[in-house]
Amino acid sequence: MSYDDVEIEDMEWNEELKSFTYPCPCGDLFQITKDELKMGEEIARCPSCSLYITVIYNMEDFSDQKSKTNIEPAKQQPVAVA
Amino acid sequence: MEAKERVDDTEEKEVWSWGAGTEGQLGTGKLQDEHIPQLLPILSSLSLLSCGGAHVIALTPGKLVLTWGRGTSGQLGHGNLVNSLEPKPVDLLNNYNITHVSAGWNHSGFVSESGHLYTCGDGSFGQLGLGDYRSQNCPIKVSCFAFRHVEQIACGMRHSLALLKGEHGDQVYGFGSGKRGQLGTSNEKIKSISLPQSVSGLEEVNVSSISANGDHSAALSADGHLYTWGRGFGGTPDVSCPNRVISPFSFTQATLGWNHALVLTDEGEVLMLGGSHHGVHNNPQKENLANQNGVVMTWGWGEHGQLGLGCTSDHTSPQVVRLGENIAHKHMTSKVYCGSGFTFVVRTQRGKRY
Repeated sequence: MSYDDVEIEDMEWNEELKSFTYPCPCGDLFQITKDELKMGEEIARCPSCSLYITVIYNMEDFSDQKSKTNIEPAKQQPVAVA
Repeated sequence: MEAKERVDDTEEKEVWSWGAGTEGQLGTGKLQDEHIPQLLPILSSLSLLSCGGAHVIALTPGKLVLTWGRGTSGQLGHGNLVNSLEPKPVDLLNNYNITHVSAGWNHSGFVSESGHLYTCGDGSFGQLGLGDYRSQNCPIKVSCFAFRHVEQIACGMRHSLALLKGEHGDQVYGFGSGKRGQLGTSNEKIKSISLPQSVSGLEEVNVSSISANGDHSAALSADGHLYTWGRGFGGTPDVSCPNRVISPFSFTQATLGWNHALVLTDEGEVLMLGGSHHGVHNNPQKENLANQNGVVMTWGWGEHGQLGLGCTSDHTSPQVVRLGENIAHKHMTSKVYCGSGFTFVVRTQRGKRY
């Protein structure tokens, strides 16, 4: 069973591990990569023990942003006219 | 948990460590887990110890500060970002007469006899109290307490608490991450603060000790009341101001784990708050217990051998830990210090004469 639910904004980006990390009670770090998040993975595992956490995030935030902006240009807000 | 201790020449001390050891935190000179207690002859004269995420801070009777274990955030205060397999002195603190220390997840706090606070390590949540979000690899004086008297420091995962004594009474300050209410400084949601702020609701309380771990905070009053704030235990809601634990007991000691608190009553009983997290392990964070005869007992999560029972099993009830051949007796006392997945015990033996 998942040890904890952790929001992605509470995880830290670790450049060396190329992963988002969060402290594990064993002293190591729960880890999840951007690619895993892109694929919808929500479990971040600890390489040193059996514990894992559930990452709370919005999958759209990790989808390929380039293609997204190409397909969907920013919508203009309608201007209210008095 | 830390406690000040009188140094007595007639006492003989043993320091033991076990559990997770792959960052050098056991002080054994090896990078491996140990499932049975290891005697550390090099550390025979410690007066105070604090265990963090994967590093340890120790005070010698001569008030030297030693650190070892994970150093990748600068938490060892050695002026670098490397792990240390063996205890090494924090030279910068040599002349400050350090009397109290605390090891957090990846940061460290040191209090001098004159009441100054020094911090180092990970500062990315403001937990060093230096007014910024930078990390430090050497201890830096927390300047906003320069004219105050700091008595104790408690470092959690991403926050810190400081206990100040003075003519205006006791005051507890919080700094670092406040997302779960662990700073106790305001009822409003605080993401983080890098300058210490006063904890509200403890103004009239005579605080004898403070504790921080994970996103939890606690203070124990001289009259035996426990106050907790921060992340709720066992799925209870977070609390952003100190909340007195309603109990018929009077408490003499309190310590926090990753997801629970242990308190000792004045009748010598141990009580636990929280601890049956998600039902995976009955006590997911290992906890230890020492009784009057110096017997050490452990229970909870055992995956890294942190229970010291020679195995990696979890235990839901307290088990006696065997510390060498020397059998516990009434002239022994043991002090237990738990880090993340590892354990230290300082066992003191007084003269055997009756």
